Amino acid sequence: MRLEMGAFPVERITFGSETRYADGHLQVDKEAVIEAVHADPRIASVDLDVAYPGESARIWPVRDVIEPRIKVEGPGVIYPGTAGRSITTVGEGRTHRLSGMGITEVSSVNWHDAGGDFVEVYLDMSGPWSELIPLSQLIHLCVVVEPDPGLGNEAQNDAVHKAALVVNDQIAATTRHLTPPQQEVFELRDITPDLPKVIYIWCVHSPQAMSGSPTAFCTTTYGLTQLTSPWFLHPNEILDGALTGPYRTAFAMSWTVANNPLLLDLYRRHGVDWNFLGVIALRTEWTTQHEKQLMANQTAKLAKLLGAQGAMVTWDAGGNEFIEVVRTIQACEQLGIKTVFLTSEDDATEAAPTMLEPLPEANAIVSTSFFKTRTLEVPDLPPVERVIGLQHKDVGPLRDQRVPTAGQLPPPPRHDDHYGFTSMSCIEY
Amino acid sequence: MDSPLRVVHYVNQFFGGIGGEDAANVGVSLQDAPVGAGRALQQALGDAGSVVGMLICGDNYFNEREAEAVATIKGHLEALKPDILVAGPAFGSGRYGLACAEVCKTAQSLGIKAISGMHPDNPGALSGWPDVVMVPTGETSADMPQALAAMVRLAGKLGGGEALGPAEIDGYMPRGVRRVHDRQRPGYQRALDMLLAKLGDRPFVTEVPIHAPEKVEPAVPIADLSQATIAMVTTGGLVRKGNPDKQVAANASRYYRHSVAELHSLSGAAWEAYHAGYFNHIVNSNPNYILPLNFLRDLEADSQIGGVFSSIYALPGVSTPVATSRDLGRSIAQDLVNSGVDGCLLVAT
Repeated sequence: MRLEMGAFPVERITFGSETRYADGHLQVDKEAVIEAVHADPRIASVDLDVAYPGESARIWPVRDVIEPRIKVEGPGVIYPGTAGRSITTVGEGRTHRLSGMGITEVSSVNWHDAGGDFVEVYLDMSGPWSELIPLSQLIHLCVVVEPDPGLGNEAQNDAVHKAALVVNDQIAATTRHLTPPQQEVFELRDITPDLPKVIYIWCVHSPQAMSGSPTAFCTTTYGLTQLTSPWFLHPNEILDGALTGPYRTAFAMSWTVANNPLLLDLYRRHGVDWNFLGVIALRTEWTTQHEKQLMANQTAKLAKLLGAQGAMVTWDAGGNEFIEVVRTIQACEQLGIKTVFLTSEDDATEAAPTMLEPLPEANAIVSTSFFKTRTLEVPDLPPVERVIGLQHKDVGPLRDQRVPTAGQLPPPPRHDDHYGFTSMSCIEY
Repeated sequence: MDSPLRVVHYVNQFFGGIGGEDAANVGVSLQDAPVGAGRALQQALGDAGSVVGMLICGDNYFNEREAEAVATIKGHLEALKPDILVAGPAFGSGRYGLACAEVCKTAQSLGIKAISGMHPDNPGALSGWPDVVMVPTGETSADMPQALAAMVRLAGKLGGGEALGPAEIDGYMPRGVRRVHDRQRPGYQRALDMLLAKLGDRPFVTEVPIHAPEKVEPAVPIADLSQATIAMVTTGGLVRKGNPDKQVAANASRYYRHSVAELHSLSGAAWEAYHAGYFNHIVNSNPNYILPLNFLRDLEADSQIGGVFSSIYALPGVSTPVATSRDLGRSIAQDLVNSGVDGCLLVAT
């Protein structure tokens, strides 16, 4: 599977009479793009706005950030399977990406209506919160979109996410016939016999147990969000969007998945430091211990059958999902696969263990610091001049205080650098 | 450092030169000049410190008559007023390690700094955790020079009133105190560095040391259920319909006590779940799924249990820090004990 990835850096986004890309300048025909989104009758309203790093601007609620990509050669479509898109296997041919920007899905639609699981992410384009979130370094083309309020929750989710993907297709298409200024070839060349074989076990949340629905909106594999047995993916499939966000944090967005630095470094050092075998995507938030252990066993077995001697393990969630993740590490170690776990940490007050189930097999852990912004002591964030999206936010433990988004605001509850973008960590005394 | 540290050294009968296992029953004695391992400690200290007293105690004596041993040691420490107490190193010796941990705690209770050293698997390492600073050593006294060098270095810091740096940098066993730290290199790079080291059997330091979880002794089984009062506790976030008490959905800081004295079962018309960690609709349709009051009432009517306690306890068990959970759990348990409850059904979600 060979994939050429052409990158088109974006330094400026303006609205104009035609949607086109030239020399770092993306011009967007706002009316035409809005019209394309409105082709879906489920959309009640949509607008576009641009936010630059350094601006006194806040974007709320951020449901997803998508890197504009398009397949220009090879089978399938980018971000396959979601919102009715083709499920043809991707990963071959040529893909173009617009780097340095994100298409940001801004909407009041919540993940699901089963209670408790609320969209909480907002982005600040300057100030202390922006310094903690790499996405704040991107130029954001915000799609502020609301669906027909009469639709059910899943249809609303599908409609607003589809709207963001329509914008993706319109924007990325500007590069279809252009020569990319930067190009990189991604291919897993033949195994080098004297290098160890490593696999990436990438755990992603499934919303099925929380929402009670196998089709609730969340992190997808080829558009599916349900609890499934482990997937074996070629990294090229992920570069073509077969694995996407979003979930609860600014680090679990589609952009962050497609630009996961751990995946890219594992890939780029294939044949140099190791043989990279590919990715096992493991769905998490199984309900019973029995299911959790079964998934751990099967994931480790699959890694072993693929010849893995080493495994990197990451996850994007919290709470009970830790069990299938750490049991997978244990099962791998028991089969002789050496694991390293990249994770955030829970509250350590009074020397409490920051790992929910502290198994001795998890003896190689890299920490990306505490996941709760409260434990990180992130202060309330200062007022901003401009808000893109909703002008109010419900805050407080009961979400019963409605405050202006532009004012001083408590940070989102989670930071949680799932893929090690930053150098933040914890150290023990 | 301006003046040399005043050091008191605690050792067992063997390292104090009294004798081997045959002398393990000797009580606490004080020597005012270094003997046995104390000489090696004095040598390692050099001009930086002076061993002003050696406390020597048989391992059996300490472990079998701990209160007496601790009282005697306390008296000596109060009189000697050292800048620091050095205990051990105990290496792999379990009774010695347990004594060292206790002696360190005794010193600390008097406001005297203390340090010990032992093998990480020594039971003393667990009993001293997380309060006692301990240097990891080998299993045998062959490691004495390295162990003492590390202990002396930290003794200088502690005795001089300096704060210790992180465990992995200052070379002591991590004590569960975790602080935010910028490692100056992105997490993904550190993770791949660690993977390469692990694959190549080269040393690496985990950034999150795993500590054995706390063990809870189960209560004695109830001898006669037909005489027992049974209470119900849930972390499933059970609230009265509409959440009039304003329970949060996650990060609980309190629990709620609701009376069920007049109820035979929990109805979806009067109760529901407010919990950010599971699919609430099932409980909303039948709250007895998280607190099976109706079944307990049947058992009560059938005299299989003595009675159902008049109140239930509820909180949402989501994202609650361990320290808070521990406090809430203790408070509920105490309330149950005070109310004469014999057994408790704890329903998690």
